[in-house]
Amino acid sequence: MKKLILNRRAFLGTAAATGATLASPAYLRRSYAAGGEVNIWTYANFVPDEFKEQFESETGIKVNVRLVDDQGKQFNLLAAEADNPTVDIMTVAGHRFLQFIDSDLLAPMDPTRLSNWGNINPVYSESDWSTINGNKWGAPILSGMEVFAYNTEVISPEEATTWDTLFSDKYAGQSAYVLQDMLSIVMLMKGYDGNMVAYLDDPEKAAAIVAEARDFLIEKKPLVRKYYDGGAEVQQMFINQDIVMACAWNGPIASLMSDGFPVAMSIPKQGSYGFVYTYNIANNAPNEDNAYTFLNAILASGEIGASMSRASGFISTYKDASQHLTDAEKASTSFPEEELANMRFFRAEANKMKYELVDPAVEEIKAA
Amino acid sequence: MTRHTRLVMSMIYWAFVLYIFVPLILMITMGFKDSKFIGFPIRSWTLDWYVEVFKDSEVLSAFGYSMLIGVSSTLISLVVGIWIAVLLNGRGFIGKGLIYGLTLLPALIPGIISAISFRIYAQLWGIPPGTGAIIWCHAVHNVPFVMLIVAARLSTLPKSHLDAAQDLGADPIIAFLRVTLPYLRPALIGGGIFCMLISFDDFVRSFFLGGYQPTLPVLIFAKLRSGMSPEINAIATVVLVLTGLLGIWAERTTRRMKQGKLQS
Amino acid sequence: MSGKVQTSAATLAGERGAGNRTGEREGRSFWGAIAASQLYQTFSNALLSSPRRQFVILLAFPVLWVLTQHLGPMLQMFYVSFVDAYPVSRGYEQQFTFDNYARFFGSAIFVMPFFRTLAFAATLTLATLVLTYPVAYFLARHVKRSNQMVFLLLLLIPFWVGEIVRTYAIMILLGNNGAVNLALKWLGLIDRPIPFMYTGFSLSVGIIYLSALYMLLPLYSALEKLPRSYTEAAADLGAGPWTRFWKVTLPLSLEGISSGATLVFLISTGYYATPVLLGGPSTTVFAETIAGFFHTAGDEWPTGAAFACLMFVTALAISLAFGRLMTRLQKGVRK
Repeated sequence: MKKLILNRRAFLGTAAATGATLASPAYLRRSYAAGGEVNIWTYANFVPDEFKEQFESETGIKVNVRLVDDQGKQFNLLAAEADNPTVDIMTVAGHRFLQFIDSDLLAPMDPTRLSNWGNINPVYSESDWSTINGNKWGAPILSGMEVFAYNTEVISPEEATTWDTLFSDKYAGQSAYVLQDMLSIVMLMKGYDGNMVAYLDDPEKAAAIVAEARDFLIEKKPLVRKYYDGGAEVQQMFINQDIVMACAWNGPIASLMSDGFPVAMSIPKQGSYGFVYTYNIANNAPNEDNAYTFLNAILASGEIGASMSRASGFISTYKDASQHLTDAEKASTSFPEEELANMRFFRAEANKMKYELVDPAVEEIKAA
Repeated sequence: MTRHTRLVMSMIYWAFVLYIFVPLILMITMGFKDSKFIGFPIRSWTLDWYVEVFKDSEVLSAFGYSMLIGVSSTLISLVVGIWIAVLLNGRGFIGKGLIYGLTLLPALIPGIISAISFRIYAQLWGIPPGTGAIIWCHAVHNVPFVMLIVAARLSTLPKSHLDAAQDLGADPIIAFLRVTLPYLRPALIGGGIFCMLISFDDFVRSFFLGGYQPTLPVLIFAKLRSGMSPEINAIATVVLVLTGLLGIWAERTTRRMKQGKLQS
Repeated sequence: MSGKVQTSAATLAGERGAGNRTGEREGRSFWGAIAASQLYQTFSNALLSSPRRQFVILLAFPVLWVLTQHLGPMLQMFYVSFVDAYPVSRGYEQQFTFDNYARFFGSAIFVMPFFRTLAFAATLTLATLVLTYPVAYFLARHVKRSNQMVFLLLLLIPFWVGEIVRTYAIMILLGNNGAVNLALKWLGLIDRPIPFMYTGFSLSVGIIYLSALYMLLPLYSALEKLPRSYTEAAADLGAGPWTRFWKVTLPLSLEGISSGATLVFLISTGYYATPVLLGGPSTTVFAETIAGFFHTAGDEWPTGAAFACLMFVTALAISLAFGRLMTRLQKGVRK
């Protein structure tokens, strides 16, 4: 354990050192009217400190970061500020775009203003969810996925190949999941489209599917220890040995692994969902030009992507970020090809219909 | 009081102290754990998290910021709360019950709803989010608590005291300052500490009304997303020690001021 | 009898209020000077010329404050609970509707957590009262007066660490691999850990921890001002400890119990973070339901606001009824 910590410290050192080598690359050659500021709402560790200092000293643009801790709060905050936002850049998950777009909170993104747009892996930047109404709405920075996380001292890798283990009597009272996310995956387990895009024209079928998934989770309710909400909770439950398996985002589990805790993750054969965090520009952003300058700068190198990935545990969307990660770090943020084939992204097209069905279902499961 | 009941009482008291302090001791202990997460077993110990807290200027400035907000909002709440309590303690008038009810309102609204409604309301009045808005929201939220605590004490103030003061020629303002306010002192200290605590612990209001400078709970929430690390425990411990020192200093100063008064 | 008690209370409180003689003399000259100054005289004459004017001035500020600061945001929420969309997207015409309220009564899934929360809050209020009363009593009666403040502040120390940090500390206390289970195992009392976490038990432990503060302060201030001579007098008259408690101490501390219980009840209906972190699959509280409407989709705000209004009106009604009951009890005591 000691060694891992030392490693972590060492990374911080290299990250700081590479910050210096980042000086004056291409992104700064175009000289903007120096000065001003850019206001960003994002999660802890999503703007690396070294990058921020570098950017501020090179461009004279002051970076104000406001730390947020979930999507709903950003939405509420922005909705309350409505037409005159105080923010330029927000951090929205790809599948939450629609909600923000429908409320007129996001400005369409113009990739031609970002010369470093090409540094993003096209898997993310050109994916089907990323274009809505013919526009791009955000620059992908980090990606996460729903995984089956398990304590390796109790559960075997074979058992981890299927979601059924999560609902087996053998491990009664030792599992945890987020209800909303689990409902989508249960639909997948039952062979349906968890994004519900396929049923946009058939609301009755959609309702029946959600009802089936709901009844399944109600039936399995005696087996679950906790419906949790946050990554920190699921980590604590593993450490306290309150649970031995969970459906979780890969980020928090990757952090547990890198700390030496006996936990592993897999993408079960029935498949799973992933999502992408993107930087978005607010509608009527007060400092739009600075926002583009900032985005172009942060997309400049795989080094920055690696540093974000390392600090957050999520997977970098940058083409060459993995070159800057050690093997241990790669292990906690990558999956075998055959598992990755089961991955799909959350999509937003049917969200209105989906969540009108899913939200009440969640309440009913909790109340059952 | 028989020795028997006294023993039982003190046993309950110490059991309560245990209940209150065991989680606290666990929390402090975990701040020294050499790992990214809190919990058992603790294999090795480190002071690194403390070094990080002091190196990270963000934590200390968030602490100072929370203190500033706590003290300012507490002062406002005390003035308003006492005023309302004095009004309600006086003679009856039409609408007294209504004012009482309205005073309690902010304490009744669930945090998230009060935060959002304040955010919208602030916009209505053109108050920009930031320090002023947080102080204002905390102050409003704490008024009911001050009112309740002060009213409880005020109801025991013998009317003869005020009458005597007025007989001696004091007008109501002087009588209030000379008689009522000193009598309220314990309630004011209690109410003040209470307001400070609530303000210091508040996340949701500070989040919605705040600007780019985080209060301590907002900072801790943001850090929590990447895991409950011993660093957060170290922060909490440092805060604990700092507030403890401030408290002792305040107590000493007031005591010395009192003594100084006696000697002169 | 009660008349006599009242007078002796006045003298006692009087002695305490008068304070130190030296300070008194010095103070008087200071206040005398102020009162006699021309400026103050003009000021006070203008303000206090008649009792009516005094009262209007005393009244004006609180009325203004509660209307603009307390009622304003509340009305905003009330308004939102009757519209079909909020915040409004551009180009959308807002409609007036009762649907948000109808939704609550429409199905049992909302009514259940609603009543569970009320029952839970009431139970916890009682538990907190029973738990903290002896503590407040001990503090007020058995600790030397000069030390009381320090002892009280000591009890408040853990609250400075913040709700979240405290809640995580409770998790590592009660977890399967937590301090309690490890201790029990070490003592040889158990083989396999007892699952304390994510049950009604862990939730109660967390919430009582939070509520204790709100109960302790009013109780302490009520008990602290209760003169010792009362119970001593009762003892002289031959009353046993229980009789003394039931007939003297408890009735005279009703004021504190009333304000403490009201506070704890109201606040515990609104707890959000602790139930979410410490509760289990079947302990969903109503605040969680309400918060859900604000956290998920934007157009759910009106429903959330409507549910919040319902909760608030009910909690208010209950605490008003409770307050009335307590006042009646207190009146009974005075007679």
